[in-house]
Amino acid sequence: MAEIRIERVNKRFGDKVAVRDISITISDREFLVLLGPSGCGKTTLLRAIAGLGMADSGRITIGGQDVTYLPPGQRQISMVFQSYAIFPHMTVRENIGFGLQMNKVDKAETKRRVTSAAELLHIEDLLDRRPSAMSGGQRQRVAVARALAMKARVLLMDEPLSNLDALLRLEMRAELKRLLADVDATTVYVTHDQIEALSMGDRVAVMRDGEIQQCDAPNVVYESPSNRFVGSFIGNPPMNFLEGTIRRTGDGVVVAAAQHDFSPVPEVQPLIRALSGDRVTLGIRAENMETLPEPGPDTVAVRVEVIEPLGAQNLLTVYVGGHRLKVSTHPSVPVTIDQELHIRFPAAQIRWIDPATDKVLYTP
Amino acid sequence: MTRAKTWRRRLVPYLLIAPAVVYLALFFAYPMYEGLVLAIYDDDALLPVRGSPALGSDEVAKIPQGTALAVLDRQSLEMADDGATDLLTDEWFRVAGTGAGGVAVEGWVPETRVRVREQDTSGAPQAGTVRPRLGQSVDPLTVVHAEPNDRSAVVGRLEQRAPVTISEVAVLEVWFLVQPAADAASAAGWAPSRYLQVFDDGESGRVHRGTAGEFTTAFIERMVDDRFFGPALRTTLLVMALLIPVQFVLALIMALVIHSRIRLSSGFLYAFSLPIGMSDLAAGILFFSIFTGNGLLNSILDGLGIIDGPFAFLTAENTNWIIFAIVLAELWRATSIVMVILVAGLQAIPDETLEAAELFGASYQQRVRHIILPLLRPSIQVALILRTILAFQVFAVVIALSGGDVVTVLANESFRQYFDLRNNNVASAYALFILLLSIASAVFYLRSVRAESEVRAT
Repeated sequence: MAEIRIERVNKRFGDKVAVRDISITISDREFLVLLGPSGCGKTTLLRAIAGLGMADSGRITIGGQDVTYLPPGQRQISMVFQSYAIFPHMTVRENIGFGLQMNKVDKAETKRRVTSAAELLHIEDLLDRRPSAMSGGQRQRVAVARALAMKARVLLMDEPLSNLDALLRLEMRAELKRLLADVDATTVYVTHDQIEALSMGDRVAVMRDGEIQQCDAPNVVYESPSNRFVGSFIGNPPMNFLEGTIRRTGDGVVVAAAQHDFSPVPEVQPLIRALSGDRVTLGIRAENMETLPEPGPDTVAVRVEVIEPLGAQNLLTVYVGGHRLKVSTHPSVPVTIDQELHIRFPAAQIRWIDPATDKVLYTP
Repeated sequence: MTRAKTWRRRLVPYLLIAPAVVYLALFFAYPMYEGLVLAIYDDDALLPVRGSPALGSDEVAKIPQGTALAVLDRQSLEMADDGATDLLTDEWFRVAGTGAGGVAVEGWVPETRVRVREQDTSGAPQAGTVRPRLGQSVDPLTVVHAEPNDRSAVVGRLEQRAPVTISEVAVLEVWFLVQPAADAASAAGWAPSRYLQVFDDGESGRVHRGTAGEFTTAFIERMVDDRFFGPALRTTLLVMALLIPVQFVLALIMALVIHSRIRLSSGFLYAFSLPIGMSDLAAGILFFSIFTGNGLLNSILDGLGIIDGPFAFLTAENTNWIIFAIVLAELWRATSIVMVILVAGLQAIPDETLEAAELFGASYQQRVRHIILPLLRPSIQVALILRTILAFQVFAVVIALSGGDVVTVLANESFRQYFDLRNNNVASAYALFILLLSIASAVFYLRSVRAESEVRAT
């Protein structure tokens, strides 16, 4: 059992609060991704778990043991660093075996684990080479092999793929996922790349300004962001937002936005009605809008401004009533610039956001 | 781009580096060459001797300086007034008078044949009489020559005691026909008196100095044979052997303290670096004031009641104490230079590398041993080379603490040979010896503490 419990952890650097009162529980063998823009505190939180930067306050336990102020070497964890932090004066074999040597694992066992870690990462041919003669991708593999050879209960990864070029990153991402599926460790993975986060994590914790905004399974974070920030940070393109005006009618509400009256799903109606002002924000993802060539019931007429063919889809930038929306369409739908299109907003796909708090009002 | 432009562009780096090359050549390479050549090249080692007594004639042999000579003949020659000293000269007078048989004679006679009777106000001879010749077998007449030398034509003869007027004086240098005394078979040749020392018997002598140079080990032999050479070398090596290990351990500790980023660690950096600002002579004097008879150390020891009355640390009987004081002063003065190099080396080690070691379970000692020291190797190498070379040159501290005679070091011997003994060549030999030791130690370190190309921050 290596459940990681983080309780009300704070960390500040001078006046800057890097981690603000974060509490989260990472269950045994879970793969948690900490995702957020630079400076959001994700690396600081990871380092607090690692013991490389002690928390100012709060408590961190691993498998029930309080490790908050334990030195990193005694936490039974291993880590892949952003710069790989490979020891340049040692061979690959010595690098992978370093942690085992320091922990006084016997020679035969060390040899066995070094070999199997190297085989897992397909670097068994490099064992007697030195890192300086190796490519970035190979160094990365050495760093991962070194971390895996430890067979630690917790595996920490600090943006391990960020120094690789795009193609290699794609390849390593899949390979890492394959490897880590077989590893019994609880994994915490820090990244600023949402694709990495969504594709690899069991859960994704989206962070901003030292706080966790949302922590859910990748599809939940994508489909049902908890607030405007998560919606705008996750997804490419980000979620579209429209400013709407609330019209309270009888016992329901109608929201006017983009020259159209939207009828929210019944579950949201009382929540919107209860808002103090008459403004509400609609959020909808590019692929959730239906584009129709002819006007139909409940459609909005828009003008196509930009067409970006992305292969699997066409990304349109359309203009409607003072808003620009990103809409993705199937490449088979014929569109030309300045063409008038008709868009339908499925009510179930619209997320309603309180403009005062930026919180999403209802999550299905 | 045209060829000319490409050419010009290629020339730019050379133009930029030209001032540095000129500077190095003029102010570094040339004086160093000149200085070091003194150690192995004797300017006046050989005396060329000539086939006939004239400067233009062919050389027949070169005789080393100091060689004992047999003098076979002598000859006077007119010489240029070049201010040379150590000459044997002959003077000849141009005389006019009435010769034997009543004919008027005018010509040159040796100065030894005329007794000067009248001189003008400046002392130049004006008139005199021919000296008489004594003995039966000699010709009583004095021969008058056309030119001021024995080989020229005879123009007349003068009776003894005949009055003559002296119109001109010629100064001639004596040339000797010489041959190495030890080897009667070797070629004999002529050399002017200025290069020779001819003994009173007129038949033997030695080469006083030569005019041609020769590479020689004589100065190096003289250095090695010097009675201070052994002690100087021993002390230099001893100071080095005591100093460098202690210095590196201390410097490494200081560097690790600064690198640890504990509170005040930058304050430590300034405190540790302070002695760099002090000259080595000042450091020597400082430690002299500590160790001297009524100095700080004696005051403290006396005050604590450990000793009765001052202990003379820095006297000829206590050379070990002097060496200890030298090592201490050097330690205090120069450890921070090593520290600065090591701190720079430590800062080049990425934080994540050390964090990784810590995370994988390495204790602080293990991190120092397995990570920091190997990665610090290039810096340690640079510092070792620098420190060893500086240790070979240790001088001012020794002068301050020992006065330069009780305990002496190589650099001090070079100084003493140059200033006290005025022996440039041996002084240069010491300098050359220090240079060779420095180069040898640098090569040794470069090979043994080899900076592997793999040791590079990734």
